[in-house]
Amino acid sequence: MPDVVPSSGASHARAEAAPKPFTPEDEVAVRDSLKRCSPATVEAALLFRRTLDPVHLPVIVLGVIERFVESELRPKLRDGDDDLRLVEDLGVDSLTMMEIVMLVEEVLQMQTNNDELRNLRTVGDVKTFIDCKIRGLPLPKPTKFIPVEQVVAVMPIQPPFLFINEAQVGSAGAQGKYKITGQEFFLQGHFKNNPVLPASIMLEALGQLAVLYLLEGSLGEPGRTIDPTKIFFTSCEGVRCHRVCRPGDVLTLSIRPKRAKMPLATFEGSIRVGQEKAAVAEEITLTFAYAEEAPVPAPVVEANGVVEVARPAVATVPNLAAAVSA
Amino acid sequence: MPKVFVTGLGFITSIGNDRATVSRSLRELNHGMQLYPPFQKPEVPVKVAAPIRDFNVESADPEDWTFPSAYRIRRDVLRSLSPNSLFAYCAMQQAIKDAALNDGDISNEETGLYAASGGSPHLLARLVNQMHAQGVMRCPPLGIVASIAGTVQFNLVAHFKIRGASTGFSSACASSSHAMGFAYDEIVLGRQSRMFVIGAEDGNVETILPFAGMRALSANVDPATASRPFDVARDGFVGTGGAAVLVLESEDEVRRRGVTPYCEVAGWGQASDGHNVAISHPEGTGLRIAMERALRSCGLRVQDIDYVNAHATSTPIGDLSEVKALKAVLGPEAARVAVSSTKALTGHGLSLAGAMESGFCALALREGFIPGSAHITQLDPACAGMNIPRTTETASCRVMLNNSSGFGGANVCVVLRRA
Repeated sequence: MPDVVPSSGASHARAEAAPKPFTPEDEVAVRDSLKRCSPATVEAALLFRRTLDPVHLPVIVLGVIERFVESELRPKLRDGDDDLRLVEDLGVDSLTMMEIVMLVEEVLQMQTNNDELRNLRTVGDVKTFIDCKIRGLPLPKPTKFIPVEQVVAVMPIQPPFLFINEAQVGSAGAQGKYKITGQEFFLQGHFKNNPVLPASIMLEALGQLAVLYLLEGSLGEPGRTIDPTKIFFTSCEGVRCHRVCRPGDVLTLSIRPKRAKMPLATFEGSIRVGQEKAAVAEEITLTFAYAEEAPVPAPVVEANGVVEVARPAVATVPNLAAAVSA
Repeated sequence: MPKVFVTGLGFITSIGNDRATVSRSLRELNHGMQLYPPFQKPEVPVKVAAPIRDFNVESADPEDWTFPSAYRIRRDVLRSLSPNSLFAYCAMQQAIKDAALNDGDISNEETGLYAASGGSPHLLARLVNQMHAQGVMRCPPLGIVASIAGTVQFNLVAHFKIRGASTGFSSACASSSHAMGFAYDEIVLGRQSRMFVIGAEDGNVETILPFAGMRALSANVDPATASRPFDVARDGFVGTGGAAVLVLESEDEVRRRGVTPYCEVAGWGQASDGHNVAISHPEGTGLRIAMERALRSCGLRVQDIDYVNAHATSTPIGDLSEVKALKAVLGPEAARVAVSSTKALTGHGLSLAGAMESGFCALALREGFIPGSAHITQLDPACAGMNIPRTTETASCRVMLNNSSGFGGANVCVVLRRA
């Protein structure tokens, strides 16, 4: 765990340390630093600096990101959620990411090091990262990209009933993609001469992504492994479909944990096709159980030619230590 | 030998921010000098400069800059620009439009870009000071890209998606003529079919004022006479900035695209003084050899020359050296060949000068005029026997030479011929 070095004194020992007085000069500096941000961002930053209350962080972080995003992409940021990807959705390259972090550091009086920034892929990642730094909490596991081979290797569910082509799993949730090929066996009958992805399959896909999230170990007790053979669907609530999905459509699946208490884990989920909302589920609940024996350190799995499942996937994000060619 | 043509021009200069205004200024002898506000302090020994109008690039933060609304520049482009690369970016857009190039014509392996600028001493100083004061991790990530010499080609090559040859030239006031000469070579050698040639300078306190330390700037407080090359009372140059872009193309490309070129680039030559780091050779030896080589490179004789755009910056020593070089090259033809310095109107643009003045020659060849040498009240007796027109004349010229000389005694001469 890298050390947090906030110059304001807001560190692990924040509870004991009185915040440094926030002077009128500090306010001028904050206003100047944020002069191209929304008034709400400035207000949140001033409140944070006076109170050190992390409740203001999301507004500040979003406001700073917005300032660096081209104006035509800003509505996306305002309407979007924490799953918005910095590179793909917002056009934020690694140099812009550096600018974002530098401005946040300046305004929040904190410091980061480059290594910590490499795995920030989504708006949610950035918010969580800043929040952990300020509170002095351990940093969450970085978002991990999982290609199809690894999805197949990890999941208890297998083709032809697996509806995830690739996934990204972070501590705040998971995202997955599934392209409807038209070759799915059930489309032959659903419907007659009119292939439409069944709503139950959409729900199944979200459930599968939640399974993957559980198996990646972001939930549950530290040091214990969830048994892949003991995860089952329990219930769902508030399911609404908004769009008919057909062969050729690429589903963007998102799930986010809402609560977890052995043996139940509840998620909210949504599906988009491009920017169009396809379905939402307010709650999907799975049961799970831990594996019997104490877990051994994850070995390099080498079975049937599938190698190195336990090794973290290589992130596809441009390296934040800037690919500088000087 | 394959032919090379100028097919597009772009100007951000002290005498106009578009081709039409520049042409009018050259014809009407409208100069770009003013009492430059940052110089109006007791401790600053010079008062006049020729800044770029309609741009405010004083802030170290490009997002504070203002520029004509015709140019819309995204933030992620703007953040790595220096003032001079902003000027170059705008002049590049003009040149592309002028040459009627489409995206495919610009971004391919056969199209390159050579640039010249002194970098941005203003931004570099800010960056270094910020690094010492606040630590390097608080400096703008792209501060280096925006400030060092090379900033023009770094930015333009990336933003215009140039995929052919690219580099920068650093021979001070000869830089963009070197860029022009070597760009010509790229096309003649068949390595490229199209080259952008760019000269650019910030033209602010940090690029101009250091020349006062070497007593090279005019102390004259009258904007109307401060820059007066060949006048007996000349006392130094007036600084300027901006950008000029020329599009050079092979004959095949000109034919394929069906465009009408401004003129042909017939050849070029260069030679060095081997004399002094900052003072030109008293006999103008290097410049004489450069002119002779340039003529030889395209098989032209002195009798073919109609006009020479002199480097003459309005310094006592420099203008005199060039006069001697011109007399040596032109011989008896000196009385016929028109010679002028457009720096009387623009000021001296340092790395920008060569490209800007080749651009002026290209305009003059197509539009049929010879730019006058402004602000001469009393011609230096050393110029006796030369044809230095004081006003712009209508004339259909065939061949024009453009001279440039830089620190270290570098001299370049570019030959332009009516297409």
